[in-house]
Amino acid sequence: MSKDTFTALIVDDEELARGLVREHLQSHPEIVILAECANGFEAVKAASEQKPDLLFLDIQMPKLDGFEVLELISGPGPGGGAEWQPATVFITAFDQHAIKAFEAHAVDYLLKPFSEVRFEEALAKAKAKCIAGQFSVPRPSDLSAAARGSWPLERLVVRDGSKVTFISLDKLDYVQAQDDYVELKTEGRSYLKQQTLSSLENQLDPKRFLRVHRSFILPLDRLTRLEQGLTDSWTAILRDGTKLPVSRSGYAKLKELIG
Amino acid sequence: MHPILTSRTRLLAYLILWVPLGGLLAGLAMMQGWSRLEAVALAVPMAVMGAGIYLSPFYLCKVVSVENQSHQNLFIIWGFAAIVDAGFWSGTAWGVARLLGRFDALHALPQKITPALPVLWSLGIVLYLASAAFYYLLIALQRAQKAEAEHLQLRMLAQEAELKALRAQLNPHFLFNSLNSISALTSVDSKRAREMCLLLSDFLRKSLGLGERRQVALREELDLVRAYLSIEQIRFGERLKVAWDIAPEAEAALVPTLLLQPLVENAIKHGISALPEGGVLRLQATIQKGTVTFTVDNPANRDAPLKPGLGLGLRQVRQRLWGRYPDRCRFESGYEEGRHRVVLTFPLETEP
Repeated sequence: MSKDTFTALIVDDEELARGLVREHLQSHPEIVILAECANGFEAVKAASEQKPDLLFLDIQMPKLDGFEVLELISGPGPGGGAEWQPATVFITAFDQHAIKAFEAHAVDYLLKPFSEVRFEEALAKAKAKCIAGQFSVPRPSDLSAAARGSWPLERLVVRDGSKVTFISLDKLDYVQAQDDYVELKTEGRSYLKQQTLSSLENQLDPKRFLRVHRSFILPLDRLTRLEQGLTDSWTAILRDGTKLPVSRSGYAKLKELIG
Repeated sequence: MHPILTSRTRLLAYLILWVPLGGLLAGLAMMQGWSRLEAVALAVPMAVMGAGIYLSPFYLCKVVSVENQSHQNLFIIWGFAAIVDAGFWSGTAWGVARLLGRFDALHALPQKITPALPVLWSLGIVLYLASAAFYYLLIALQRAQKAEAEHLQLRMLAQEAELKALRAQLNPHFLFNSLNSISALTSVDSKRAREMCLLLSDFLRKSLGLGERRQVALREELDLVRAYLSIEQIRFGERLKVAWDIAPEAEAALVPTLLLQPLVENAIKHGISALPEGGVLRLQATIQKGTVTFTVDNPANRDAPLKPGLGLGLRQVRQRLWGRYPDRCRFESGYEEGRHRVVLTFPLETEP
């Protein structure tokens, strides 16, 4: 597949920083800038609606950081095709954790301030990726987990259309696997997020959340008791009365944690 | 050195203490039927002698420490020393009495002193032991004072080290972002690019210069803050507005160096930069009844996930404030109606 034009989105909360990227792109008539976004919400809306080929993404931004933006916009491609993700060039001033995450996952990034040569290099790589249609980029949730370092996850972000919802982990009732999605149950509502249960399990604090079954993760503070069924099977009863199946290995982990 | 001999006031107090002791000696003698003249004639030289002799237990106290000796040893050493010393004292009393006996009016002294010697001796022993106890107490006090002084010294050293660390700890995120802004401005607005270069070097020079000193006038600290905020205003544009409310009389107040700058950096990092629409950062300094109140008040999104470092920066400021003004300062920090506010209160001190 050959491409004559590439659509691009520039995301940075600083006007001057966006201007710099725009300036570097001016000498590339093949690049069409779809929009410039000053915060994560705008970026999620623009990216999910316009599906740009390239994304210039700042990491430190108000409300949603760059990793969360990427996590939210990745999904089925235009026309409901396969997994889609824009070829992303991360930009950051100084964030040791983010840089470590990029290094670990072999993702290209620019350090502010960057030279024109360095910018061209990153752009060429991103364009090549776009043409090849192969994104060796890791799952965004893995990248953000790596970037967070030892700082624990406090919230989950989910998107419905261009609406972004934050779910505080304190208010999470339980999580159920639904094919390639996870269903997050919170305050009587449920949200779907494109992520595997295992990858979510890795992001959560193992002292607070336990995968009790192939398809379920529950917060330990929601658990009231366990009921033994017939034939060596167990059921977890949550505070609101919900019953969840507990697998044999889940029961063993629970016993170890709670005693 | 002897604690009494090294201070004029202490020496005077010690000598004055011997006046009633001399009076006690004279009173005791008169109760034994001595004439007033006889009693005074002997009591005065005895008090002078005693004042000299009873300085000596200090040196023994220094050598014989209460902690390292068994009770038995202490009893033997001090008993022996007290008997010898008091014996010497009463012995000289006997000699003095013989000498004074040559005067006609005092001719009866040599006979009268002999029956009084055991009393003098025992009194001497009691005095010796009492002064030893007193010196032990004094040594312990001195040691406590010295420890306190050392502790203070250590704390000052720690503060200096902390200050050096603060100075070296130029916020890299701020630096690189500023350089990126300059890089962006060079082609579109070279004048502003140069202006920002100058602002940045002004800020760097000021923060390096301030770090050399332990405290500075509020005016100087705020100059640094101003330089910092002018740079951030170029970066954040419309998102950052600053409202200054500094009472003119507060400008000369002394503040620990680089105490306020981190508060303002904090307000930018966790406040303004975390809000897409930004807001107004308010800085206020007032003086009331000899205390300075400094307030940093910024819009903040309480629901935003905590970024690493918020607690740390504020904790450092609080510790430095407490270290500088123990029990005389206040540190308040909290959210109210979408704003985060830090209030520092400390005593007003000005440059001499």
